[in-house]
This record gives sequence, C-alpha cells and structure tokens, in this order.
Amino acid sequence: MVKFLDIIFNTGIGVALLGFISASAMFLIWWERKVSAWIQNRFGPMRVGWHGLLQPIADAVKLLLKENISPASADKLVWWLAPFFAVVPAVMAFICMPFDKNLIARDLNTGVLFMIAITSICVFGIFMAGWGSNNKYSLLSAMRAVAQIISYEIPLTLSVLTVLMFANSLSMQDIVRAQSKYWFIVYPNLTIAFIIYIISATAEVNRAPFDISEAESELVAGFHTEYSGMKFAMFFIGEYTNFFIISAIAATLFLGGWQGPFLPPVVWFLLKTYAIVFLLMWVRWTFPRVRVDQLMAFAWKVLTPIAFVNLLIAGLFLIKTR
Amino acid sequence: MLNSLIQQLNNSGLPLNSFAQLSFYFIAGLTCLFAFLVVASRNVFHSAVFLALTLLSVSGIYLLLDAQFLAVVQIIIYVGAIMILFVFCIMLTSRISDKAIRQVNQQVLFSLTLALIFLAIFYILIIKSPWLSSGAEIEPLSLKELGRSLFSKYVLPFEVISLVLLAVMVGAIAIGKARKE
Repeated sequence: MVKFLDIIFNTGIGVALLGFISASAMFLIWWERKVSAWIQNRFGPMRVGWHGLLQPIADAVKLLLKENISPASADKLVWWLAPFFAVVPAVMAFICMPFDKNLIARDLNTGVLFMIAITSICVFGIFMAGWGSNNKYSLLSAMRAVAQIISYEIPLTLSVLTVLMFANSLSMQDIVRAQSKYWFIVYPNLTIAFIIYIISATAEVNRAPFDISEAESELVAGFHTEYSGMKFAMFFIGEYTNFFIISAIAATLFLGGWQGPFLPPVVWFLLKTYAIVFLLMWVRWTFPRVRVDQLMAFAWKVLTPIAFVNLLIAGLFLIKTR
Repeated sequence: MLNSLIQQLNNSGLPLNSFAQLSFYFIAGLTCLFAFLVVASRNVFHSAVFLALTLLSVSGIYLLLDAQFLAVVQIIIYVGAIMILFVFCIMLTSRISDKAIRQVNQQVLFSLTLALIFLAIFYILIIKSPWLSSGAEIEPLSLKELGRSLFSKYVLPFEVISLVLLAVMVGAIAIGKARKE
C-alpha cells in the first residue's frame, strides 16, 4: 500500500541524501587536496574560507558558469548521456547506506549485492564517455578502465562473499548487527578479505596506484579529456561519491558500521568511513602508478586465487564452528 | 495543515495503489521506448546503449514486483557483464559503427512476418497462462529459500548450466587460439 505521506517522506529522504552526497563529495575533494599538499610539503588551498574549506564551492560555481563545449566529431548522444551514467548509479547506491540503526533509506534484503550491482553501472558511463569523445586518448583510457574494473570486480565480490558467509545475510543492517560483539576484521579470514577488498576497491574507483585509465603522462586526462564545465563536474562528483561508497561499504562490512561506544552511531559510521578514505588518500599520494600488464596480472594471478582460497577456508571454518 | 492535506489526499477517490500503477506504466513505457530504439538506431553503439537502458528498466519492473534479487541479478549479469562484453566486441571490431558501413538490409517483409508470428505466439501464451489475480500480498522470496532450492530441488539444471557455460568458455578459448597460429 502506498500512502501519500510515504511519497512525501521518501521524497524528503531523497533530497536529504542528495544534499549529503554533494556536501560529502565537496568535502572529499577539499580533503584530498589538503592531504596531497601535506604529503608533498605544501599548503594546498588556503585562500577561500578557513584553510580553503570553501574552495570546492568556488570551484563548483566556476564549473557551473563555464561555457559548454562539445567536440565537433563527438558522438553527440553517447557524449551527452555519459555523465549521467557516471553520477546516477552512485547516488542510487545510497539507498542501502546504513548511517544508523534506523537511518537507512531502504534496508533491502539484497543490500550488499544491490550496492555492488548499481555501482558497476558506472563503468558504462566511463565507456560511453571514452567512445563518445571520439578521441584516441579517451578511447584508450575507456578500454583500460573497463578491462581493469571488470577484472577487479571478481576479487572484490569474492571478498564481500566471505563477509556474507560470516554474517549469514545480505542486508546491510543485518551485517552491522552481526558485528555487535566483534568487528568482522578480527577474524583472520576476514582480515585477508579486507585487504583484498581495499586493493580491488581502489582499482574499482580508478585511484592511484591503479589509475592507469587517467594516467596523465600517457593519456592527457583519460576518458574525460574532452569534457568541461558541468559535465566534467558530474564525472568528478561521481568519482568522489563512488570513493565514499566503497569506503562506507568497507566500514560497514569489516569495521562494524555504526556500532561503537559513547559517540552517536552516525558519528561512528562517518568516522570509520573517513578513516578508510584517509587511508586510500594516503596510498594514492605515496605509491607510484603500476603498469597495465602488472595490473591485470595482479588481479588474475594473485588476488583472485587468494580470494578463492580464502573463501574456501572461510567456508570450512564456518562448517566446523557451527 | 499538511496533515489534513495528506488525510484528504488519502481519503480522496484516488485508489491508493495508483502511484504504484503510475510508476509501472512509466517504467513499462520507458522499456518499450528503449527496446524500440535498440532496433531502430542505425549505429551499433547506440543500440548497445539503448539495450543497457532497456535492461535497466526491466530491472525496475522487477523491483516494483518486489523481486529484489531478480532485479539485482539482472543488473549484475546483463548490464554489468553482458553489456560490457557487447560494447567491448563493438570496440574491438574495427569500424563496425562507421557511417560508411550499411547497417540495414532489404529483408523488411521477411522480418515483419517473423515478428508478427512471434507476437502471435506471445499473445496466445499471455492469454492462456493462468495469472494470479487475487489481490493478496505475496511474500517476497527469501534468499535462504532460493539458495536452498537451487542446491536441492534444482541442483541438476543448475549444474548442467554451469557445465554448458564452461564448455562455451573452453570452446571460445580454443577458437581464439586456433586463429592465432
């Protein structure tokens, strides 16, 4: 039964989530610039607001006001659709984001699978951007990105599967509740799964050391070379929203989600998520980029077999203990 | 004031499920539109994009029917894997979406007859099948049930499908290797 109150309420939730997503993406962009600056012994943005905190807003206004340029030889339809494919799935993934015991838009009983599925659509956006631009660098970048993302999706899903076996459920809230005693990361199997997850998630969102699809020295700017103004901003927001999502999934699956003493649950959830965000930023500004062949070999010859063996051992362990 | 407004809307003549119906017609319409565009567009890549959109809309219909697992699997397998494979094939086949290549042929009559025959078959199937027409709410399928039945009642078809898939993979690799030499 659908009641009108429900409709109004759900619209409210949607608006609140959109607000949170844009604020979070802006904060992450500012923070990334700050972290990179600290690591490289610079100041980073300092002029707009306290320590440059309002810099992303200034950037957003600039991007909004920019002229909309589209290349003459671009495949117009694909070129226009691509930014939407990059952002909309990332926003939809927030439907199952467990901020608190009750603060979740919909606790779908296929929660984790839903998030993995919906974020995997973003690949299509990258592909369309690369193809639609009709530019050899963009096309090369798109091919690299897709090959990389579909390769790393396998170890990622396998490591998530290990968690699901321990939690005995696919719903995000059930997984958090299953960790009321210990965080899942304390089990040896899940520690390995956590490491595999973090590595493959970094590759999933195309961040260094796995950012071969945007390798500036080889591919100009990769699939978004031809994009400017608000379309570029859409890709940027999509990228950082996906970054937040993978960190939030890691916090939920391995670090106990919103559970924690003293502080309110929302604060715990955000603390854990931003801790993983910081870890990944640290990695990005510390390690050099890997080569294409190394990247693929690592996914298929190292991560996937380890993830499979880990899953098998986890299954045997669970059979023995239950 | 807002409360009374909502009360009024709830008690008004509108059937409560009209919103669900509206969203069904919206998504179904989108599905048909995209499906038409798949066959109507002259560029192979555009067809692929519209096919992805069609499959996404179908998963939306599954979600409306409370078949969450089916919807999610639809996205993972069709959009996340098969569509990417299609697009990769298009990309690796050089100039398949070039304007110089003719992408339609003259077999209009033949394909029209075939399409009409299929339409007739589907129409008969839809008319003849015994639809559940009671308004009773159906429990969403629990994943535990699904997994258990996959590995007990339907274990043979499940294994046969995986064997077929394995054979296809081995065959594809064999063909690919033979070409190289």
